[in-house]
Amino acid sequence: MGVIRTEDLGKTYKGGTVALRGLDLEVKAGEVFGFLGPNGAGKSTTIQLLLNFIRPDTGSAFLFDRPVSCTEARQRLGYLPESVNLPGFHSGRGLLEFHGRLLGLTREDAARQAGERLERVGLGEAAGRRISEYSQGMLQRLGLGQALLDDPELLILDEPTSNLDPVARRDFRDILLDLKARGTTVFICSHILSEVESVCDRVAILQQGELKRVGTLEELSESGGSVVRARDLPAAAMEAVAAAGARLTVEGGASTISCADRRVLEEVEQILGRFGVEAERVETRNQSLEEIFFGAIEGQQKP
Amino acid sequence: MRTTLLIAGDSLRALLHQRLLVVLVLGTLGLTSAASVAMSYFTNKVVQASESASEASQDELDEAQLEQMRQGLEMSGTLVLGGFCWFTALAGSLVTLFICCTAVAGDLRRGTIRMILSRPVSRAQFLLGRFCGAAAVMLAFSALSAAAFVIYSYGHGLDLKLALAYAPWLMLCQNLMIGSAALLLSLLVHPAIAGVVALFASASFFSPPNPLYYILPSYDRFNLFFLFLQGRMISLEEILVLTLYALDVTAIFVLLALWRFRSRDLL
Repeated sequence: MGVIRTEDLGKTYKGGTVALRGLDLEVKAGEVFGFLGPNGAGKSTTIQLLLNFIRPDTGSAFLFDRPVSCTEARQRLGYLPESVNLPGFHSGRGLLEFHGRLLGLTREDAARQAGERLERVGLGEAAGRRISEYSQGMLQRLGLGQALLDDPELLILDEPTSNLDPVARRDFRDILLDLKARGTTVFICSHILSEVESVCDRVAILQQGELKRVGTLEELSESGGSVVRARDLPAAAMEAVAAAGARLTVEGGASTISCADRRVLEEVEQILGRFGVEAERVETRNQSLEEIFFGAIEGQQKP
Repeated sequence: MRTTLLIAGDSLRALLHQRLLVVLVLGTLGLTSAASVAMSYFTNKVVQASESASEASQDELDEAQLEQMRQGLEMSGTLVLGGFCWFTALAGSLVTLFICCTAVAGDLRRGTIRMILSRPVSRAQFLLGRFCGAAAVMLAFSALSAAAFVIYSYGHGLDLKLALAYAPWLMLCQNLMIGSAALLLSLLVHPAIAGVVALFASASFFSPPNPLYYILPSYDRFNLFFLFLQGRMISLEEILVLTLYALDVTAIFVLLALWRFRSRDLL
């Protein structure tokens, strides 16, 4: 089942700024999905469209196979915005109880869950304090606590660790891994690539409102490039390899064939087979997420 | 309904924690009382002066002149009560504008609306909840005003029935209209501008054949100052008609606000 699905989703703001164009995306149940892109790429716009805060100009978005405008679709959802703005008059516990009641919990259940979530995000001791007295990091933790209320099936996190110190970041990653183990679907939008790399099953890279790449890290990394080493390549085979789009360097009798993606690699392997040449070694270089990211947004792979 | 009430309760708590609002409510009530006491003091001075004058020349005054003087004194007492009523209604309107202009626009500006609307809460429930919270504060203000009327009227030996019969209720009706207009306008323009426009968007500033006279709501008949001046009570039927009129206008404005809020991007 597609927990999140968008079809040709597009948004143009007043003044003609195109924030998102033709986004087709599907996030499956149980996935931890990283949504990456530089500032202004359209990540926050996508989240706002998914939460029905803004209306699309083209296409449509669905949560749990229901249109995002359907209120019930948000029953199984937890959301943590980038900047957590909360009413300062509530106490941490009071706010979580209020949100619990909005989710339909009884007063007792809301109070119990509020206490548990506050402990989980490390705010047990500050539960009774007014939110206006909380630091930015505490607000972020509280925001996460409210997003975890009633064990949501889908968690949408917009730059969740932007205000957290290293210790809190580690705690956050542990919570995320725990959620992943429980099968919660997580849609995480972050600038911290190492954080995404360590927890995400799939990532999408967005630039200037367009989806550049989407896939598992392995899929995206493999398409980054492979190197085939072979000896005594016939001239006809060299020509065929070059025609297939691979880059060929020959030193002595040793040929090194660089393939940009999987398609070229498969073609080169077929050519070698046709000419009876056995590849000595095939090396697929695993790229880091940072390399994949910069490759996608700059249109070239980072060396 | 449950969600709307939860948001109304939260809205009410938020309003009670706004020091500025509490200061505004108590301050306006205090100022109104102080102004009325001052007016009353000067009226008493005039009364005492008149009584001294009448005692000094009692032999020269006939019954008709004494009756005229008594009527004048009654009139001045009613005038003070009417002034008290007018001040309170104005203060109530200011409090209402303060609350309703920021009821939704404040959440939009601070961004606190997003956390709530990420829950299974529709925009209609949110807006109605906020308006209900504001209406509860208006009701509380009217009740406080009614209490002030009682104390003030007893203190000055004025006609309690006249003061209490309908003034606070009609004030609440008027505030509901003004508040709903402010709520709608705050979704279209800056809240401060919305407040000013909502207060002055009254048919009483226009006259036929100006089309605005027929479109804008009329607040005039809800202000009892002029009735006090005329020294007459209005009938129960009139109050009923005015109440229905106020509810009708409020419902129209709230529906328009819902329509606007429903289609608006929450940026």
